[in-house]
Parts: sequence; structure tokens; C-alpha cells
Amino acid sequence: MPKWFLRAAVVCAVMFVLSPFVIANADYESTMGLVQKIFYYHMPSAWMFLVAGIVCGVASVRFLISGDPRHDRTAWAAAEMAVIFGVVTLVTGPLWARRAWGTYWVWDARTTSSLVQWMVAWAYLILRRYGGPGSDKLAAGLALFGVANVGFIYISVNYWRTIHPATTVVPKLPFTMGFPLWYCVASFTLLFVLLLKMRIRLEEQRATLDSLYLSLDEQH
Amino acid sequence: MIRLAWLILRKDLTVEVRSGEIAYTTLFFAVTCVLVFAFALVREGRPPEDGAAGILWIAIAFAGNLALGRAFERERQAETLRALLLAPTPRPAVYLGKLLGIVVLLAGTEAILVPLIALLFQAQLLAHPFWLSAILAAGTIGFAAVGTLFAAMLVRARSRDVLLPVLLYPITVPVIIAGVRGTAALLQPQFEGDIVRFWFALLIAFDAVFVTLSLWTFESVMTD
Amino acid sequence: MSLSMRTLAAVVLTVFCVSVPLGAQVPQPSGQAPKNQGEYVPIEQLPPQDQLPAAPLLIAAYSFVLIVFFAYVLSLSRRLTSVQRDVDRLGATLKQSSKP
Repeated sequence: MPKWFLRAAVVCAVMFVLSPFVIANADYESTMGLVQKIFYYHMPSAWMFLVAGIVCGVASVRFLISGDPRHDRTAWAAAEMAVIFGVVTLVTGPLWARRAWGTYWVWDARTTSSLVQWMVAWAYLILRRYGGPGSDKLAAGLALFGVANVGFIYISVNYWRTIHPATTVVPKLPFTMGFPLWYCVASFTLLFVLLLKMRIRLEEQRATLDSLYLSLDEQH
Repeated sequence: MIRLAWLILRKDLTVEVRSGEIAYTTLFFAVTCVLVFAFALVREGRPPEDGAAGILWIAIAFAGNLALGRAFERERQAETLRALLLAPTPRPAVYLGKLLGIVVLLAGTEAILVPLIALLFQAQLLAHPFWLSAILAAGTIGFAAVGTLFAAMLVRARSRDVLLPVLLYPITVPVIIAGVRGTAALLQPQFEGDIVRFWFALLIAFDAVFVTLSLWTFESVMTD
Repeated sequence: MSLSMRTLAAVVLTVFCVSVPLGAQVPQPSGQAPKNQGEYVPIEQLPPQDQLPAAPLLIAAYSFVLIVFFAYVLSLSRRLTSVQRDVDRLGATLKQSSKP
């Protein structure tokens, strides 16, 4: 692993350890009270889920065009990130919703489209695991379609169902709530980069292992 | 290129007319599916409200999945897909030909399903035949466009039978939603033209984007 | 690398488990010391702050986040070490067989 990795990992760990203190000092929200503090972990992980999907899509397109296996490794790692951050988002959201909306789940535009995109990411991983040879290009095609589909899913579900806080909430946050949010965004972004790097490293090592097996076969 | 696509379509249809394998099995499966829904949901002669639209599209989705799997399985077994790809035909023509074949097959199935569902679920599906055909056509093309690409991609993969629905259904969620909502709007006592037009426009947009995307992807992904 | 990663993860987990209860203590709202009650006053509904305790949900959410990331880092480092071990072993075997 590169030199910066361990140092960045320590920084990330410290930031996460300090985050409960930062969050505890934020003001309470007037209507939701204590449970709104889930927002400081739910929002950044939702953003990282989105970023992971975009990274996977872009890497898949580059892989389909160039055939360079590095893009394929990035795409696979990003899909796994999408599943992990997606799970965090889709569990912390309902826990917050239970108190704020009275129910664990509502089928509105944002929640349903997030769930569907999460299923596409999960389908990507299933395909890579069980698809056999040639599944790298297949999965790249799936990721491409998944990303292109984001708009359609959002529009169709939006006109099908309508409760999720509007996107105007974040820019209007006062400093006492904005600072913990952006602090957590920074922590989550750092975590995302670190986990992505580790996962790509795993694929690189697997590729090295394959080429070593091939050299061993050639020798005998 | 259109002529080549038409040739491939004619080839598939000729094989199908002679053997009838995919058409009959798909039709039978779709009808059985609808009957199972009828047994499960119709209580004492009263069908669930607004159930017909959803059941129609579920039956189309399941039947389409089966038809796609069988169509490419036949190609795989006879090695004709490899022959098609080796021949100096432009790849998009192969894709279009297969797509049209699946659409024709599903259209035939829908022609049987619509009256059956209208009868079993007491839904006025045939009240606006023009709009119903338009929505069914647009939705079927969208579903088949994505399905043909994925089924062709999976021809050489392991676990392809299970992987096709796993990949296909999340991606075709907007088509199913739009199709069901559009059909349900047609079933309302008051005809709401705006709503029907909106869902139809969404389906057309989906078709345009995904047929184009599939044509581009088919080239890069059909490795041998 | 894996040993230091594991140590780091264990340290983080311990510190987190200690710091979350400390940091998340809700300050008591002032002026609510219970007075000696002479009589019971009935009310129809529970006051809002007693209706559904938010703290268990909050703690569940944060604990879940912690568990998911911890489990993922563990799974990833385990996969990495096993592949690394195979790479080293194969590399050594290749070097051995190419020597003579």
C-alpha cells in the first residue's frame, strides 16, 4: 500500500472518533429533536453512495472504450462501495424516519430510486461473482445502463409517489449545524477514498496472482 | 442495415413458425401466470381494484424474461450466434433483428393476455384501444431493448438463466412503473388524457435512450 | 500491514465505544427538577418528549454504521492478506524453479 495510506487512515480514524463530540455540540432541530442527529451520518453516506455510482459508471464506460483492466478494477471496487454506503444510507434513513415520519419506510421518489439503484449495484456484484469469464464487460454494460437509468427512475417514481426533505435543506443550514455536516462529509469522503483504494489493491493483487499462475503453467 | 435486420427477423420468425416452441411455451406461461393471480387475488368474484394494470405488466415482464432466455438459448445451442457475429453483418443489424423478433413474440402474447385479463379482472381494458396499444408497444420495446442486450451478453456466461432477471428487472423498473401507471390511467372511469400522455412520453424517451445505448454497447460487449 | 490495520481497528473501536456515551450525553434542560406533588394531574396524551424515545434509534443508527464499516474493513483485510500470502508463496516457488 502507498505511504500516504496509513497516515490517511489514522487521520480518518481520528476524525470519526471525534465526530460524536462535534455532532453533540450541534444545535437541535426544532421539530425533530435528538433523532435528527442521525442526519450527520445519513446525509454523507447517501452522498458517497451517489459518488460511488458515478465512479462505477464512468470507469465502466472507460473500460468499454479502452479495455484497460485498471478501469475494470475501479468499477468493481466502486460498485462494492455503492453497496456498502447504500446499506448504511438505507438503514440509517428508516431509523430516523421512524421518529420523524412515524413509519420506517415510505415509497417516495428518493427512497424508491435509491433502493432500485442499490439493487443494480448488488446485481453488479452478483454478476461479477457468478458470471464466469467475460463478466467484466457484461458488468460494465450493466453499470452503464444503471447510471443512464438514474434520471428515468427518479422521474417515474417522482410522478408516482411524493415526504422526503427537499434538497433545499442543506444550503440553508446555519453554521452550528453546517459545520458538523461538512465535517462528517469530509470524514466519509476520506473513508470512501481509503476503502476504494484498499478494494482496488485487492483486485490488483488478484490480477498479479493470475499472471503468476500463468507463468507457473508456462514453466512446466 | 435495415434490410439485414429484416432478414434476421424473418429467419427467426420462420424458425418459430415451424417449431412454435417459444411462442407456445411463452403464451402458456403468461396465461398460467394470469390465472394464478386470478386464483390468488379474486375473492368471491370481486377482483382487487386497479389490479388489472399491474397484473398485465407483471405477466408481460415474466413472459418476456422467459422468451428472451429461450430465444438466445436456441442460438447458443445451434451456435448460430457465433455464425451471425462472424458474418460480415454490422452488429447493430443483428441486435435490431433479434429485438424485433422478441417484440413480435411479446405482441402476440399481449394480444391474448389483454382480453383474458379484461375478462378475469373485470377491467375495461379495451375502452381506449389506441392508447392501450401505444402504451403496450412503447413499454414492450423498452423492456425488450434492454432484455435483448442483456440476454445476448449473457449467452456465454455461467448461471445465465438466473442472472438475466437479476440484471433485467432493476433496470426496467421505470418501464414497468410507466406502463402500469399509463394502463391504470386508461382504466379510470374519467379518461385523463394528460396523465396517459405523460407516461407514454416517458416510455418513448426511455425507448429512444435505451435502444441507442444498446446499439452502442452491443458492439463493444459481444465478445467471443 | 494487516497486523497494524487490525491494531488500528481495535484501538478505534475501543475509543469509539468509550467516547460515544460520553459525547452523546444530552444536557438536562434546566428548571425541571421534580417538585413535591400534592395530587396527580391526568392528561389525555403523553407529552411529545415521552412519546417515542429517540435515543435508542440514534444509538442504533450510529452503532449500525460502526458495525458495517468495521465488518467491511475486516473482510477486506482478510481477503487482502490471503491473496498477498498466495502471491508471496507463488513468487517464491517461481524464483526457486527458475534458479537452476
